Amino acid sequence: MAGLNLKNLYKSFGAVEVIKGVDLDIDHGEFVVFVGPSGCGKSTLLRMIAGLENITEGELFIGETLCNNVEPRDRGIAMVFQSYALYPHMTVYDNIGFGLKLARAPKEERDRKVREAARMLQLEPLLDRKPGQLSGGQRQRVAIGRAIVRQPEVFLFDEPLSNLDAALRVSMRQELTKLHHDLDATMIYVTHDQVEAMTMADKIVVLNGGVVQQVGAPIDLYQDPANLFVAGFIGSPKMNFIEVTAKTVGKGEVLVQSDVIGEISVPLNSDRVKTGDKLTLGIRPHALSRSDDGPFSGQVELVERLGNETVVNFTLSNGSAWMAVLDGDEPLKLGSEVRFSADVGAICLFDAAERRIR
Amino acid sequence: MNLIKRYWLTALASIVALVVFVTPFIFIILMAVKDRQQAALRDMSWPINFQLVENFLAVVQARDYMLITAYINSTILTVGSVTILVIVASMVGFVLQRHPTKWTPVVEFFVMAGLMIPPAVVPTIWLLQGIGLFKTLHGMILIEVAYNMSFAVILYRQFVATIPREMDEAAIIDGAKPLDVFFRVVFPMMWPVTVTNIVVQSVGIFNDFVNPLYYLPGRGNETVQLTLYSFQSQFNTQYNLLFMDILLVTIPPLLVFLFFNRQIVAGLSAGAIKG
Ligand SMILES: Nc1ncnc2c1ncn2[C@@H]1O[C@H](COP(=O)(O)OP(=O)(O)O)[C@@H](O)[C@H]1O
Ligand SMILES: [Mg+2]
Repeated sequence: MAGLNLKNLYKSFGAVEVIKGVDLDIDHGEFVVFVGPSGCGKSTLLRMIAGLENITEGELFIGETLCNNVEPRDRGIAMVFQSYALYPHMTVYDNIGFGLKLARAPKEERDRKVREAARMLQLEPLLDRKPGQLSGGQRQRVAIGRAIVRQPEVFLFDEPLSNLDAALRVSMRQELTKLHHDLDATMIYVTHDQVEAMTMADKIVVLNGGVVQQVGAPIDLYQDPANLFVAGFIGSPKMNFIEVTAKTVGKGEVLVQSDVIGEISVPLNSDRVKTGDKLTLGIRPHALSRSDDGPFSGQVELVERLGNETVVNFTLSNGSAWMAVLDGDEPLKLGSEVRFSADVGAICLFDAAERRIR
Repeated sequence: MNLIKRYWLTALASIVALVVFVTPFIFIILMAVKDRQQAALRDMSWPINFQLVENFLAVVQARDYMLITAYINSTILTVGSVTILVIVASMVGFVLQRHPTKWTPVVEFFVMAGLMIPPAVVPTIWLLQGIGLFKTLHGMILIEVAYNMSFAVILYRQFVATIPREMDEAAIIDGAKPLDVFFRVVFPMMWPVTVTNIVVQSVGIFNDFVNPLYYLPGRGNETVQLTLYSFQSQFNTQYNLLFMDILLVTIPPLLVFLFFNRQIVAGLSAGAIKG
């Protein structure tokens, strides 16, 4: 039974600060996903939890134990690497049993645990093979098996699916979710793919530039992003943005204006907006619908007709590229003018410091 | 016509190789089985009397079975030095590549220096005498280890760079202590370069003539290469025996190459492909 507590963690490589004060609580049994663009420090944070990187400053608790200076093998963790990192000179059986062998577990116990893990992951027919004779998905399963037999309190995954092809990725995603359900262990999963994050997580931690942007359930991050970065990062296709100015601030609503879209009244209960403020307006592609007198107009650049929905890429008159996802089939001509209206309740406003105004 | 056009270069290369490498070897074999009179002519003629067994026994028995002693010495020297070299150089290569500290450049400087600066013989002999290792086999082993360490370290270090660091980390997470990480995970993965090292070093050390000549003089201390030297004076009228000796001395390295050739090539290319 172990949750994690990260208290004001910092990590520097020489003069470069990579993790800048991360605070995080993870409960036992949660599936937590660290997501963020490449280079934002996800792996570094995970490796700090694993004990593969020293903690420059701050405190890391796993369960009740302060783990800053605890050896990786004593932290009750197991890790699955992006490249799988299977030992090429050992059979699948020995790969899975290596940790138990090092821990000097009795032979029968080791055998039992290895076979049990192999059964869970459908690796039984492959136990005598070397990693070189396995496919990508099978290697991935061996790597997971190696983690399972150690019966860790916390599983750490660093982009474990990014070397797999798309179809396999989907099925492994489901297997991992099922595994999490069966094992009842805490799992921390790093990915730069927000679809993986949305589908698997109990709790998503969005990182950017070594700083936690927002923590929350996937659907909360989607519906209620805390800032411009999270709004742009979570959700596919990306949220559309445009700069606007607050023209009049009324009770329960603001009238925002820009040369490109004219004026829109947005419901808002906040006293943070003053007349004349520069704001950013954000609207998800799914919240746009065609309408001949809508405020958003542009020239059609690309139409993807998927049958059940139509993805339209269009450019506003100021040149910014927007997307709309329309229900059903919409035969639109390339280069033609289109107009969209938006569900005003779905519009997000962000202040000059890129924070959400709500 | 087409065939000639396509393969003439290959054919030419094969012929040149045959002339350059195989002819001397055939000459050695022919000389080694001739009788004394015919050998004295030192030509490329077919032996009139085949004296393989007689010549062989004469060489082995010469100087109180010196060749047997020499083989024992050479074997101890080669096996001892190569074992130490492989173990030490692999560890040095691993640490240099994986755990850089402020001392790493210093160590690297010495490795490069060891590769480029020729050893000074006389001071080395003084030193050996001072610590009582001169004219001893274990002293000689240390000399061979020292002289060949740089090359071995560089080979290993290069190879370690191709092993992903995640391998070490996976082992650490699995609970491996530093020695386990090295001996159970990294060292087995270095097998290709270990084979290369074993072959190259053992052939080099077995064939070493100059260093045993300097550092291992004295009766009973001969290595196989030195038997050539001492037989040369004794056999200068018996070229058949001298060449029999050459033949016997050449065979072990040749066997090593024939035996390991496949593995060296396979091993060298295995390092390049992601496992
Ligand atoms: N060992 C290291 N030494 C120096 N810089 C590093 C090291 N490891 C990572 N970094 C830097 O830290 C930043 C975050 O890296 P990482 O955590 O791997 O990002 P990601 O979110 O893509 O996993 C990157 O800018 C990277 O260059
Ligand atoms: Mg990463």
